[in-house]
This record gives sequence, C-alpha cells and structure tokens, in this order.
Amino acid sequence: MALAATSVKKTMPHTLFHTALYASLALCVLGLLWRSSAWFRVRVGPDARAVTLSQRLGALLRGTATALFGARVLHILGACFLDVLLLRRLFAREKPRWLGHLLILAGFTLLLLMHAFEALVTVKLFPGYESTLAPYLFLRNLFGAMVVAGIALLYFERWRRRTGLVSVRRPMAAAFAVLLGFVLATGYLLEAHKIASPQAFYRMAKRYSGTTDPGELMPLRAVWASEFGVAFDDLKEPFASNVMERGRQMHDADCAGCHAKPASAFVSYPVSRLLAPVTALLDKGRADIWLLYLHVFACFLGLATLPFTRFFHAVAVPISLLVNASAPNRAFSAAGRASRRALALDACLRCGICDAHCSVAPLARHLGNPYLLPSHKLVATGALANGRLLRSGRESDGFRVAEGAFLCTDCGRCTNDCPAGLDLEDLWQAGRGDLAAAGLPAPAQWVRALPALAWAEALEAAAGQHTATDPDASCAPLSADRRSFSRCVQCQTCTNVCPVVAQSIAADHRVDLTPQKVMNLLRLGLRDLTLGSRMVWDCATCYQCQENCPEGLRVTDIMCELRALAAHRLGAVRSWKAPS
Amino acid sequence: MKYALFLGCKIPSRLPAYELSTRAVLLRLGVTLVDLEFNCCGYPARNVSREAFVVAAARNLAIAERAGLDVLTPCTCCFGSLRHAISFLEEDPELRSRVSQALAVEGIAWSGKTEVEHLLPVLARTIGVDALGAAVRAPRAGLRVAAQYGCHALRPSNVARFDNPLAPTTFETLIRLTGATPVDWPRQLDCCGDPLHESNAPLSEHIARAKIADAKASGAEAMCTACPHCHLRFDSAQAGSPKPSIRSLLYTQLLGLAMGLDEKSLGLECPESPIRGR
Amino acid sequence: MTGERRNSFDVAVIGAGMAGMAAALFAAQRGLSCIQVGSGGGVLFASGLLDLLAVHPAAEGRQWQSPFAALAALAREQPDHPLARVDPASIRTAFETFVTALGEAGLAYAPLDERNRKVLTSIGTLKTTFGVPLSMVAGANALDALDAPNTPNTPPRCLLVDFRGLREFSARQIATTLADRWPGLCHGRIEFPGFEDVPELYAAHLARALETGETRDRTIALIRPMLGDAQLVGLPTVLGLGRCREVHAAFEAGLGVPVFEIPTMPTSVPGLRLLGALETVMSARGVRRRRLASVRALAFDANTGTATLDLDGVPGGERVSARAVVLATGRFSGRGLTADRGGVRESILGLPVHQPASREAWHQRDFLDPSGHAINRAGLRTDDAWRPLDMSGKPAWPRLFAVGSILADQDWMRSKCGSGLAIATAWAAMQQLADQLHGNTG
Repeated sequence: MALAATSVKKTMPHTLFHTALYASLALCVLGLLWRSSAWFRVRVGPDARAVTLSQRLGALLRGTATALFGARVLHILGACFLDVLLLRRLFAREKPRWLGHLLILAGFTLLLLMHAFEALVTVKLFPGYESTLAPYLFLRNLFGAMVVAGIALLYFERWRRRTGLVSVRRPMAAAFAVLLGFVLATGYLLEAHKIASPQAFYRMAKRYSGTTDPGELMPLRAVWASEFGVAFDDLKEPFASNVMERGRQMHDADCAGCHAKPASAFVSYPVSRLLAPVTALLDKGRADIWLLYLHVFACFLGLATLPFTRFFHAVAVPISLLVNASAPNRAFSAAGRASRRALALDACLRCGICDAHCSVAPLARHLGNPYLLPSHKLVATGALANGRLLRSGRESDGFRVAEGAFLCTDCGRCTNDCPAGLDLEDLWQAGRGDLAAAGLPAPAQWVRALPALAWAEALEAAAGQHTATDPDASCAPLSADRRSFSRCVQCQTCTNVCPVVAQSIAADHRVDLTPQKVMNLLRLGLRDLTLGSRMVWDCATCYQCQENCPEGLRVTDIMCELRALAAHRLGAVRSWKAPS
Repeated sequence: MKYALFLGCKIPSRLPAYELSTRAVLLRLGVTLVDLEFNCCGYPARNVSREAFVVAAARNLAIAERAGLDVLTPCTCCFGSLRHAISFLEEDPELRSRVSQALAVEGIAWSGKTEVEHLLPVLARTIGVDALGAAVRAPRAGLRVAAQYGCHALRPSNVARFDNPLAPTTFETLIRLTGATPVDWPRQLDCCGDPLHESNAPLSEHIARAKIADAKASGAEAMCTACPHCHLRFDSAQAGSPKPSIRSLLYTQLLGLAMGLDEKSLGLECPESPIRGR
Repeated sequence: MTGERRNSFDVAVIGAGMAGMAAALFAAQRGLSCIQVGSGGGVLFASGLLDLLAVHPAAEGRQWQSPFAALAALAREQPDHPLARVDPASIRTAFETFVTALGEAGLAYAPLDERNRKVLTSIGTLKTTFGVPLSMVAGANALDALDAPNTPNTPPRCLLVDFRGLREFSARQIATTLADRWPGLCHGRIEFPGFEDVPELYAAHLARALETGETRDRTIALIRPMLGDAQLVGLPTVLGLGRCREVHAAFEAGLGVPVFEIPTMPTSVPGLRLLGALETVMSARGVRRRRLASVRALAFDANTGTATLDLDGVPGGERVSARAVVLATGRFSGRGLTADRGGVRESILGLPVHQPASREAWHQRDFLDPSGHAINRAGLRTDDAWRPLDMSGKPAWPRLFAVGSILADQDWMRSKCGSGLAIATAWAAMQQLADQLHGNTG
C-alpha cells in the first residue's frame, strides 16, 4: 500500500487494492514480455528467415553488452536524454506535435510520480507534503491539464494536417485515449467533489477538531464555505465579521497545516463550483467512494492493457531509439537487423508523419491504393511476416500490397522523418523480398513467369468473364488508336537503334521480339500478344526508337502504355497461389 | 535567378553528393534555389497508369506554379518525366480536366506557366558559358572524361528540347569550360541500362558494362554524369569487378572543383576519385 | 520562361531530307543563323551514295559515265529541269562543300572525280553514282575494270563475306547474280563474334559492336583464313557507325587487302551513318534543330518582312520567326505535297502545284512504262531565284525559297539524281537567299 495515495488507504480495502494492483501489474508484465518476445520471433525479410532465434538473442546480448560497456555509451546516454526524453526527432520535424507529445509525456510522468506514487516519492522528497497544500494542489491540476492539452493538441494537429489520405485504423489507440481521459476526468471530479463536500468536511472535523456539531463548527464552516468552497446547504453568505474571525482562528488551529485554499486547483475548483448544487446528492450517494474506485480501477485497466494497445510504443520507441544509438551508421548484423525490423513493427505509432510527406502519396491517392503509404505498408509488412496476409487468402489484398511495395521509390523520406527513428527503408526492402518469395514480385517479374503467347491465351480464355469497362482509350490512347501505328513501314530503324536488342545477345536474358515486331503486332490487331512480351517489359525507355522513327511513330510512348495496360489486363487474369 | 529545386527521389536517398555539389555550385554562381515539398516525379507510375503518372507530375508543377517559380532538376529522369507530363497534358484535354480535378482537391492547379529545366542547359544557356568560364579558377587540365547525358535529357527531342539528340554538344561545352577534355565515345548516346534493372538485371548489367568498356577504351578516366540513375548504375556495374575501374564523376563536382570549391562541400570524399592529385 | 531560347533566325529550313540538310548547311556556312524543322527520317532511306545525274533521258534509261556530260545534255534538252538551271561549276562546289562537311563529321567520302562510279549493291546489281563513301570505294575501284576501254577486263578476285543471321545481306546471292560479269567473286559466311546465340542479326548492332577493338579483331581473325588469293574483300555495311573510318582502316590493315562495304538495303547502317553525320554537321554549325516538330502554320508579315512559323509537336507549341524560309519538304513521301481528289496541293501554304491537268493523266497505263509518270514531275515552279510562284506567276513571297524534290519538272528517281537535285538546288537557292538578305540589310 506504500504505493498508493493516502486517500486510497483510507477508502479502499487493502486486499482489494492489492489484488487489483498486482493482477494488473502481472498482466502488464506478461503483456510486455509477450509483445517484446515478438522482436525475436517475427521474421521480416528473406535474410531474417536465415537467422535463428538463438542468433537473434545472441545479437541482443552482444548489443546490450557493447552498448553498456563500449565506446557508444555516451551516445546512448545522449539519445536517452535528447531522443527519448526531449523527443528531439519530433522537435526537428513537427513542433506542435512535439509540444503535444511532450505535454503528455511530462504531465503523465509527473502525475505518476507526484500523485500516484506520492507515498513512495513525494512524501519522501518533500517532508511537509500534503496533497491538499500549495503548490501540490495547483501542480496536480497543472499536470493533468498538460496531459489533456497534449491529447487535444495532437488530435487538433491530426485534423489540421489531414491529407485526404486514408490513415491506418487504430481502434485500440482511441480506446486507450478514452481510458486516459477517463482517468483524468475521474481524478478531477473526485477532487472537485471533495472540495465541495460537507460530508468530507465533517469527516475531517471529527478527526481534527473532535466534533461534528454544526453549531459548534459554525465559525469554521463559515470560513470553509466562503473561502474553501464547501457547499453547506444550511449556510448563506455573508457571514458576520466576528464569526469569520473566530472561524479563522479555528482554521489556523486545526486545518491550516494541511489545507491551502483550493482556488489554485484551477480545474477542480471551478468544477466544484459547478457541482455545488448537487453536492448533497453526491454526498448521499457516496460519490467520494465510487469516483475513487473508478479512478483507481481505470488506472489499473490502463496498466493491464498498455502492452496490447498502440501505447506500447511508449516502450518500443525508446528502445528503438536507444538501439539506433548503439550502432554507428546503423550498422547491424543480420540477426540485429532482423530483430530491429520486428521492433519497428511495434514501435510505429501510426502518427502518419511519413504518409504526409511520402513521395508517392499522390499516386496512392490517385490509384486508390493506401498500401503505397508507409504506415499502411508497415502494417501490411507485418501482416505478411506473421502470415495474416497470406491466410486471408484475398488475392486482391496481396496484389495491392505488392503494387504499393513496388511503386515505392525508396526516396528515404519516411525513414528520415520518422519520429521514432525507424529504419523504414530497410523494412521496405525486406518486405519486397517477402512479397517476391510469396509469389508477389514486381510486375516486371511476374509478367516474365509466362511467355507472351501464354498471356495472350489467358486473356482470350478470360475474355467472357471480364465485362469490366475497357480501360484502353483513357489509359492507353496511343495503342488503342490505329493512327498512331498504322504508318509503320517496318523499316527496322527502331530495332537498329535499340540498345536493348543490340545487347540482347545471351540466350538467358534475350528479349523475345523487337520494337518493330511489336509495332507490327499492333498493326495486325494482335495487341494482346504484345502485353506479356519481354521486349515491352525490358524496354529501357531510352527513346532511341521514337527519336529515330522516320514515320514519327511514338514507339517508346506506346511501349510504356503497353506495360501499363499489361499491368492492368494481365493483372486481372493472373492467379496468385500463395505458397503454403 | 531563382528556381525551385526538384531533387526527385534518388538524389536525397542514394546520391546526396549530387545535391551538395549542385547547391554549392549554384550558390557560387548566384542562383537562388527554393525548396518546395515536391513528390515523386511520377516516372515509376508510368508502368501502372498513365493518368496517375501525370497527376503526380502535375502536382509538382502546380506546387511550383503556386510559388511562382520555374523548376530546376539535376535528375535527367525527373526532367524527362515532368516534361512528358506537360506534353501529355497539352495534347489530351480530357486527361487535363481529370488531372485538374485531382489537383483541385488540394486547391492547386496546373496552367502550364512553370518551365521545367535540366541543370545542364541552365548552366550552359541561362547562366551562360561566359559566366561559367569566369568562375573557373582551378581548371582540371588533362582530365579526360566521357560525357553521359542520360537518355531523358535528349530524347524525345521535342519533349526534352535540350540539344540535338543525335549530335549533342552542351555537355561537351560545359566540360571544356572546366579545363577537362570530353572524349569521343561511340556508345555515348546508349542507355545506361538502369531502367531495365528490375525486369532484366543481367541485360541491364551487360548494357552498362558495354558503355563503361567503351568509355574506357576511348580514353576516358571518368564517366561524367548529370543523372543519378546513370551515375549509380555505372558505379554498381563496376562494384564487383576486381580491377580498379573507371569512376563516375558528377558534372557539378567537376565544375565545383574547377571553380575552386573544396572537396567536402562537393561531396567528394571518395579517395579513388580520378580528379584528386591533379 | 527563364531559359533563354532563341526564337528569331535568319533562315528557317522546313524539311530535313537531303535538300533541307544541304540548305541548312549552306546557309550556316554563309554565316546565317538557321533553324531547321523536320525529323531527318528521310535520310535514313539513303544509301550513302551521292547521285548527281546518272540517267538521261529517263525514258531511254541511258546511263552516263560523266555526270557533267549528262548535265550538259540535260541543259540542252530539258532546260526547265532544276538541275539544268544550276551551273556545273556551282554543282561541283556544292558537292565538294557537302562531302567535306560530312568528312569532318566522321563520314569520309572518296575524292570526287569527274566521272560517275559503279557500285555493287546488296542485290547484286551495279549502281551508277557520283559521291562514294571512302569505305565503299575499293569496290568501285575494282569495278572500274568493267568500264576500262579497249581491253576486255574482269575485276580482281574478291571475297564477299556475310554473317549468319543477317538476313538483309547474302554474299552468295550477290556472287551468283554477278557471276558472269565478275567471275572472280567468291563468298563466305561467318558467325559474328559474340552474337553466336542470336538468331537474327541487325546491321547497326554489328556496326556498333565492331567499334570495339576486341570484336573487330575477332572478326578479322575469322575472315583472314578465308582470304585465299582474294585481292579485296567485300562486306555488308557494318564497319562502324560514327567511327566507320577507323573500323574500315582496321579491317584493311588486319586483312592486308582493300576492303569495301556494300550498301545494305535501306533502312540500315548507311542511312544511320549519314543522318548521324548530317546532324553532327548541323550541331557543329549551330543550326537549331526541331527534329520531331512540324510546321502547323507559316505566315508572312508584309510590314516587317519576317515569317512566323508555328510549330506542332513541341509541348507548349513554339513560335519562331525567320527573315527567310526554305521549303525543303519533299514530294509525297516527305509530305511536302498532298494528293487528294481535287489534285495535288502544297501542304503548308497551299502554293500552286504544277501538275497534270486531271487525275487520269497522273499515271501511264503501264506502271513500268519507261517514260515514267506525269505525277512524278509535279511540284513547285519557281522564278530564277528559286522562289515558288503563286497563282499569278509571281514569287509567292520575296524570301520564300524551294529546294529539292518538291520542285517541278524533274523525276529524280528515274534520272538517279536525287542527291544532285538536293545539293545543287540548295546551293543555288542559298546563294540567292544570302543575296536577298544582305541586300536587305545593306
């Protein structure tokens, strides 16, 4: 019970409090263990599949040892202070969010230390401490208000910076935020109620003045009614000055040692004014008890569920930041990398900063594929690594995830901007490896699985089933319009100037057609035969053919179109059997 | 002189030396570079959807237009991509209206006011050879380099409007200004192989190595590049080879050195660089 | 727009075939600033051989050993023929200037003679021409024996080599076709080094490959054992693209005998070489090229005297102004002329086209009629200064000129005078043009 605030001691049965506390602590610890064990179990990337659990644990031990006793210890201490406590990375990127985060972090931590752990911390550090004295009344309100302001600021920022992009859904995070708000609200309400409560007054009066007689206590009541906000329903201001004088003497004798004027509780006191009319009712219903129960059990619930919500990032992000600081230039062994990727999956708090700055965000929006965006891609990468994506068996999901993964340009902005310092580029590369292994490689690769003729046959076989609108005219206007290739005289210039055909001399990497033959197939109305052609897919888009065509055909532009068309049409007849 | 600097995706992540040296050189030449939050030029999406490609490109142009600036890019592929998007927008009114709708969501619009320029012609034409020549203090005399324009700088010539695509001279002129000598190499105008690396890596490597061998046989000591894709492809094609091979040298680094800028500000920390020791 | 792009020029040349290229070159040589619109794709169909005038009269198919003698005959018999309107000395100078420029751009020609040369073609026929690329001239030298007076002579023993997979060229077919005239022709086939696994070869790829020393040496090593007593070696036109002089020299040195290329069927290496060299010429002389653009509209300002050209095919469009304009848009294949139900029109300005009175008169009944078809003599008529005429028979515009095959009263294909027509009229017209401009500027 040393941990609990004094008021809890007085109100709550010890066994109940202990049982609940230790149960939620146990859940929290178990949860933390389970969640962090994933950092050594989950495998992202082909190279991660090649390392064993023991190698990863070994890397952890070695890493910890070198971190603690090696030359990087100063770096790590620096990171502890600057990155973890002061959120340096966030400060550099988005100052309002940094402020919001820092308010929550600081307010929450200080509340935890000063208020929740008051018997353990505050009382020991400040001998004259009483929770109802200045400045503690004020500070408690302030810390709570910091958390509330922080949360509000973060939601406001999220709204203000809305990008029109879909953000990753995170119901647990919202639930946890509600829980946190509930803890704060019950705390404030409890305090407000106690300020206004005559019941609490009489309880204290009995203990310190030895009487509960309203008449005898009349002067003190007058003082507490007018200056401490107790809502006596049998008293009316103004009070005679001699009564007040007497009351102040009584107050100084019995109360002043522990009670400062509550007006400094700048949240609770105004709330207590609002509650004044119903205080009698609340007193009757023992609101002091059930509000306390709600407050304490909400805290326990938060403690128990913390590892299972996004707030787990409060654990994972600091670890990730310290791990970063432990190796120069982010040089990690394969085992270290493997664990780091798994850690990244947990440390991402879906803040969406990466999405907002993502180079391909406009593509994501236009293609309607959120999997181009880092935060979605991270979730998908995790789902692929733990098998959920494959188990879902939904081809379309897999295709879209792959499209997103392979349209990423590796510009590195997400890694650069990530406030948690995650090496996302490494994660994307690993994820692409996993996709390829799962039968979802880049289009240029999956198209190669079949020769052009087989693709054309697949299209023909599926011709009856696909009645969807023909995308040709808008997405491939040139190849849909005879005029753009009918002038071809098959003069071979395009082939003669093509560096791909010119260097295509070894059997294993040779192209199947030449640009001129592709144009001829179009002339013959056999466009489907070109879609899976290696010539089309291996075209370097160097524009030699287009520049040199004596008839002015836009050969390269047509090649590009055919690829886009192939990605669309061959994609529709493609089947994906995920490897079991 | 003021431009919005369009770095694209490759330079910041893979070739920061190009950004460093571009900024250093242009700062010295009195060009103001403005950083706007651009997105991908759209190039990768050409293989998926023409419209998505144009939307992505047009968004960049609209952002520059809102800032009232022309776009300067040191990346040849981004250059080609942005200019291609302009030509698609101009030739296809239907596409233009769909793209305008997509941009309107963000309250921006493309009207064609913004020009897209590649770094090399800006140096050669806008800043001009006289100003460049005057800025050269430490000519790199004797250095022989192979000028690699990059396909999308030159072709298709109506879109690029860069130089004569069959017989370009801009890059050679710029190289001579630094005191270095451009070599004549038959495969100069060939593709570097980078765009097909994803679909056919062996063929891509083969193309890159043929170019490198050609430049070397023609007497070049370095590949002088003006595109991150070519630059990195040449480097990676030689990564596994045992013999010390020919280096890629960014034109901005060459020019910066000739202008007397220090190596660090040009991102030239690589000790094997052929211009060192001269 | 921040980038300075020049948009006013002395001369705008519309068209980039042989005539347009020649006009741009000659204008630039005269110090005029020049912009040239057109792809140059027509040049790709050239063989690299520069005909001057090989046949006259076309109806008789009479071949001439001396192009200048043929020109004299033409001047007597067809004074309206554009070639007949240029003096032979100027034609000579024009050709010299043209091949010198090409030589500087890496495509060397054999010194121009007074006579026409005979060149072996890839189908085994002999073609009469005037300007011969250096890499092809050894073959023409060998064929001189056929024309040698007095002694019945046969050309020296010659090895023709082809490559497995290069479909456009068969050494055996040439040797068979020519067996009676050139009995000393023998043939052989080799695998092109490095391309052993490639089923189908393309000449330009081989030409590029031969620009690397290793492939070149391996190819020479494959041919050497086949030489026997051959005194010269003939190959398809694959000896390099931009570096043909160096590759050709290496083959001659490596084989120890003269080596000559036989022009492959268009479009192939000869056209690519010629186009590359011409574009290099244009670049070197500061001619601005708009390769993939076309002229949508051409208008003349009566007050300022300048022409305004609106270009299509350039994003954003482009407008340039020029003090003089040269139409070198060719005939039907170059799209300088358009034929429809109403007759033949000039495509850009709608200038009156000299043409048969009715569609019935366009063609002879027999496609192969030796006298040719009237439609092939259609085109623009000009005044003495090469300015096309309007309906009233006056120059359509003081500084609008027309050169090359768009001109009327010639049938260059049958007279084998395509290059000659292009180069000679371009030369003459640029002289007039320069006089006009200088006259105007004082």
